[in-house]
Amino acid sequence: MRMSIIQWWGRAFLELRPSLGLSFFRIFVALTVGLHVLPSFFHLQDNYLSTAFKTINLHFFTPEIIEFVQKSPDAWVYFFVVFFSVTWFFFLIGLFSQFSCILMTLCCYYFYALNAFHIGTLSWDILLVTLFLMCVTPYHGDYFSVDALRSGQRDSYKRFRPFFLQRLLQLQIASTYFYTALHKITASGNWLTDNPMYYLMNYPPEGVVKQFIFREFFAARPELCYVIGVTIVVCEILLPFLLFIPKTRSGAIGLGIFFHVVLVSTFHVPTIFFFLFPPQLLLFINPKDIVQWVEKKRGQSQNKGRAQVIYDGHCQFCETSINILLTMDLFGYLKPVDYHTIESVKTLHPNLTKELCHSQLHLIEPDGTLSGGFFIFRRLCFKIPMLYPFIFVFYFPGSGIAGPLVYRWVAKNRYLFHRAKICRDNACFR
Amino acid sequence: MRRRFISLFVLVWLFIFYYESSRHFFLNPFFGRELPKIKFLFPPAGWIMFFNVDEGYGGAEVYGIKDGQRYFINPHDILKTKAVGYDNIHRNVLSEVLSSYHGPAFCRFLRREFPGYEQFEVAAVFYPSVTENPKKKFYRAAYVCE
Repeated sequence: MRMSIIQWWGRAFLELRPSLGLSFFRIFVALTVGLHVLPSFFHLQDNYLSTAFKTINLHFFTPEIIEFVQKSPDAWVYFFVVFFSVTWFFFLIGLFSQFSCILMTLCCYYFYALNAFHIGTLSWDILLVTLFLMCVTPYHGDYFSVDALRSGQRDSYKRFRPFFLQRLLQLQIASTYFYTALHKITASGNWLTDNPMYYLMNYPPEGVVKQFIFREFFAARPELCYVIGVTIVVCEILLPFLLFIPKTRSGAIGLGIFFHVVLVSTFHVPTIFFFLFPPQLLLFINPKDIVQWVEKKRGQSQNKGRAQVIYDGHCQFCETSINILLTMDLFGYLKPVDYHTIESVKTLHPNLTKELCHSQLHLIEPDGTLSGGFFIFRRLCFKIPMLYPFIFVFYFPGSGIAGPLVYRWVAKNRYLFHRAKICRDNACFR
Repeated sequence: MRRRFISLFVLVWLFIFYYESSRHFFLNPFFGRELPKIKFLFPPAGWIMFFNVDEGYGGAEVYGIKDGQRYFINPHDILKTKAVGYDNIHRNVLSEVLSSYHGPAFCRFLRREFPGYEQFEVAAVFYPSVTENPKKKFYRAAYVCE
């Protein structure tokens, strides 16, 4: 009996599993925090400076902390705005992931203590619980992050970590659903004894319900509203169990995401419900399955033929760049080729020459398409997930002119970037 | 050593999380007293999204007074912060200003935002039944900013 409990505990919390899901989740946590807090910075006078109307949350903070924060001069507010923005961006891109998460969370606490009026909602408290857990370990920086690129470990997408953090995040969201339902049917909740959905649908236009297309239809049908209300409660009670049962898991995740899409389409609820909860539901997907899927895709890339990136193997900067590209290359689409190791580059592509290969990176796609310099990033940003955010940048109007110029400048001075002793004057570039 | 540390963290966290999730509505009545709340994390009453919605609806309205005339001030002009994907005004955030505790601070804020008015009146608005009589609306002046 004791052994089986220890085994169960080990499997539930201590087992090593890939941290890929957590890394993906980090991006959404950062987006959620940003979307919730950053808009409040556009009206500092109204929200945080000495001119603002402020409310305080004494349930959450101690009076000493509130008093201390409320004494902040405006200069401190400006400092924290900048500090939050920087740490938030670092957390988003996964640079010093754990450290930036801790600092960003402290900033969130600062603004919450300074003025709870705009940002302080029940869902904000949920987000802070998530943030607290994210601060505990650096696991979320293992992939989809600058930290992963800095580490230079090409297989960082399958780095194994103790599963406890992901499990606690799973328990957090599952329990939130469960307790939400429990409060609706016990305590002072009235979802079984009354008809809250019906009242909500009939709220005045200034109320919390959006003017969605079927609102009037529902507002005229109390029986239907009651059934919907009870169905919501039943789903919220069942969801935690369905999420933990492997056979029902994918359906439960789908149901949860659908619930949140409907919620934000019909109610004025904070964005947290849309940007945080659905990705948190995805944490129920076993990360081993995700890595298995990635490995399968990598295998398919091998079979279909990979794209060859032709680079200068004598240039440390190029080596580092290729290593970064390969770390980003989750699906194994790229095959690096140092042109110095090739007898004749014409065998790779008839249009290639050693001079061309020396001047810039080249990409030969499986169908033989050749591109070089800046334009290989335009090609790759659709193939490499970590480059997806740059699609907008690479295709921004004018980037076709500015991009090659910047690339050319970097390529021309690349020997200087790695401070090669033999190449102090950039003489290595011909 | 690491496994023990993680296990200890998990146990403590689970205890705190479930304690705070059930403290206000379940543990307090069970023990017959107000149990201590853990500061710096968790809401005061657990996860209670929309848990009790009745047929009444209340909110706040702000009026500017000038030359003896009363003008309704659009709440979006009072709280100009635009949240992404939702409207804080519709979440009834303005109702917080009804508390007389907030009166002086809110009056200061209104005077700064709307210097053109001589006075302001903050009123509580109440719909007794949104289903039976949706047009029926009661007003009560909460306070006047002189």
